[in-house]
Amino acid sequence: MRMLVLAIVGIAVTAAVLSVKALAPEAGQASSHREAPLIAEDPTADTTDLYAYRSADAPNSLTVIANWIPAEDPAAGPNWYRFSERARYAINIDRSGDGKADVIYRFRFKNREGSLFLGNTVQDYTVTRVRGGSEVVVARGVTPPNNIGPRTTPNYRQQANAAITNLAGGGKVFAGQREDAFFADIGAIFDLVAIRKGTGNMGGGKDFFANYAVHGIALQIPISQLDDSDNTVGVWASTERPRMKVRWYRKNGIRRASEERQWAQVSRLGNPLINEVIIPTKLKDKWNRLSPATDAQFEQFYRTPILAAVINQLYGLGVPETNRDDLVAVLLTGVPGLNNTGTKLADMLRINLSIPPTASPNRLGVFGGDLAGFPNGRRLTDDVVDIAERAVAGKLKGHPAGDLLGDGVDGNDVPNLGFFPYENDPPSGFDNAKGQQKP
Amino acid sequence: MRPFLLAGAVAAIVATALLAGGAVSREDDAAAAPTTRELVRLGLRELDTARRTGEPSRYARSEAALEQALEQDPAEVQALVGLASLANARHDFREGLALARRAHRLSPDTAVVYGAMGDALVELGRYRDAFETFDRLAELKPGIAAYSRVSYARELLGQTEGALEAMTLAVDAAGGRGETAAWALTQLGKLHFSRGRLERAEAEYRRALAALPGYVQALDALAHVQAARGRLRRAIELEQQAVQQSPLPQYVGTLGDLYRAAGRPGLAREQYRLVGAIDRLFVANGVETDLELALFNVDHGVRLGESLERARRARQARPSIEADDVLAWALVRNGRCGEALRYSRSALRLGTVDAAKFFHRGMIERCLGRPVEARSWFHKALRTNRHFSIRWAPVARELS
Repeated sequence: MRMLVLAIVGIAVTAAVLSVKALAPEAGQASSHREAPLIAEDPTADTTDLYAYRSADAPNSLTVIANWIPAEDPAAGPNWYRFSERARYAINIDRSGDGKADVIYRFRFKNREGSLFLGNTVQDYTVTRVRGGSEVVVARGVTPPNNIGPRTTPNYRQQANAAITNLAGGGKVFAGQREDAFFADIGAIFDLVAIRKGTGNMGGGKDFFANYAVHGIALQIPISQLDDSDNTVGVWASTERPRMKVRWYRKNGIRRASEERQWAQVSRLGNPLINEVIIPTKLKDKWNRLSPATDAQFEQFYRTPILAAVINQLYGLGVPETNRDDLVAVLLTGVPGLNNTGTKLADMLRINLSIPPTASPNRLGVFGGDLAGFPNGRRLTDDVVDIAERAVAGKLKGHPAGDLLGDGVDGNDVPNLGFFPYENDPPSGFDNAKGQQKP
Repeated sequence: MRPFLLAGAVAAIVATALLAGGAVSREDDAAAAPTTRELVRLGLRELDTARRTGEPSRYARSEAALEQALEQDPAEVQALVGLASLANARHDFREGLALARRAHRLSPDTAVVYGAMGDALVELGRYRDAFETFDRLAELKPGIAAYSRVSYARELLGQTEGALEAMTLAVDAAGGRGETAAWALTQLGKLHFSRGRLERAEAEYRRALAALPGYVQALDALAHVQAARGRLRRAIELEQQAVQQSPLPQYVGTLGDLYRAAGRPGLAREQYRLVGAIDRLFVANGVETDLELALFNVDHGVRLGESLERARRARQARPSIEADDVLAWALVRNGRCGEALRYSRSALRLGTVDAAKFFHRGMIERCLGRPVEARSWFHKALRTNRHFSIRWAPVARELS
């Protein structure tokens, strides 16, 4: 879930997400001295993006990248972002198409004692693979520190490289701060202009995510460990937090139940922008709590997307607002002949592992004739904002508006890496591009 | 005439500005009719600004925007929750509860609804319902909002370690940066302080200031630590910084207490007078302050008779253990010890471990002519937190 990133046309939609995600009155105690901030930040459980693809340099593996903690600002004082120690992060993979995870890679992070305020953001972590009812620790890794600057964290590239860890049985993993590979023109959308130039297919936007970082997990898993007969797997990321009850503590202070043993999912992410654009406000918490296996109950919101109506209001393009079987197929069952997993409705990022990576990827993925990109998995360079806008505008139904829309931002502001973990090193606090040096 | 009607010039100016401004900011007047979503955003932003800066004039702006949003769309849950939070912030908890219930009927799967509802229930003294509501919130969406409320519930139940555990989870969820992290860290520190652990409290407050430099709640909290250590000059500096940022009555009152403790009664009186003026400002902006003002006046020996009536009214409006305690304290300061005992018992019925409530009980026992019981309550108060009050902890030490 992105807090700020619902990069989709439409003031109404944008405002809706803002009001829900950024300003919802979640915390807040009544008596004034306890009053908490209204802005309900839960950044460490906020999954911003999920990618799944076969990379050109490791074509026999599935690469999965998931990001958390939106808009880490390297310039706003000391850089102290970390994964939550008390949350459980997961990459879920469904091989059978039933919307239930068959393989889970689960991550737990541990801070190093007392060192944060000396600027040490290094965390130890374990990766546990859950498969067929058994749990095996497949890696113990260490994150690099946040990129503070050349004096505090010199040779950052080497430090990040050294943090890559092998998975037992094949594959590798990286976790830590990364440059946010996502790109979109949020600034324009917030300025009620939505798109800077025309309907956006001519470029001219500004990447809001330039110079921000996230915390990413990158996994590379040999396809031989995942593949099944239909070649297609479904992937989603999720975050869980410990459950808690008021009375789980007795009066004498003896614990009645261990809070660490009961978990509740608080966020999930399969296809991009679903929580922001498709799921109505009232049901967002519920959607985030559930597994993709129960997504049939949300079908109507995919079939009759609010965004289509908004596009018509803003641009008068007459895009179809109802009976959107095309969107149901792309997002809930997979596209027939490409990555369909049957009739079970489940919001997962589906990828057909038999399709090899393309030499020169097209940012519009399948819409650009490139079958190795979104919605067949998602690569770092896939322009999901433009793709989503065009999909909603009826591209798959042959509607002419399907080639017009876009935010005018066609790629990331810095190049991604050509090798694992692919998302580039985060911008350093020292070198940040936001301040202005006085002469 | 009640002093309320004597609202000072400041309040009058604020009220005029509110009327003239139509309660919605100018930028929005210039634009075309704002959408429901924009109104909700504006309303919540104004409410948050009120909380952050202590400017009560923001409440009316928030209310106007949220009401207008609700007029446009009577099923707008965010507007209802916003209005519920606003009612709670103005201490109109019955209204807060009613609005939260309306939101709940419309959207039973939305976590925020349970937060606003539980907050109102706590202040209305309906603890069983409140704790069930917090449990539901924590079930739907464990996170800062849920953990911090579970922590408060456990604090009320006297389970300090459980409260610390829950608030530690809130701190972890907040992620180490920004106001939410600073708030959660400050709450964690206050839990330590409430049990007299000055070092641990101070460490959390300093972490809060690192998460958000100049964070006003941490400055105020740190002033109390410095005062507890007898470093009054440092405490005064910190509290002055807090007051400059956010002139809330409790900060101004603390500054007065610090001046008084430092032997500057003239400066103290100045601050105390300011408390009254600021209070009128809050009242003029629709905030119900009977309970807070009664406590301040009773603590400082001002208008005791009138304050007793105020405390009774407050307890009727919000029959929480806090109101029980303030009423008990007002009664004993008016020499009505028997009745005070009844409310003190009620104030302690959840098993809350709160040094001030123990001290008040000691004063009641003393007033009832039971010196042994009184001393035992004073000991209990000081064992809980030797520095529970700048003004009254020294008295407890003297009488114990």
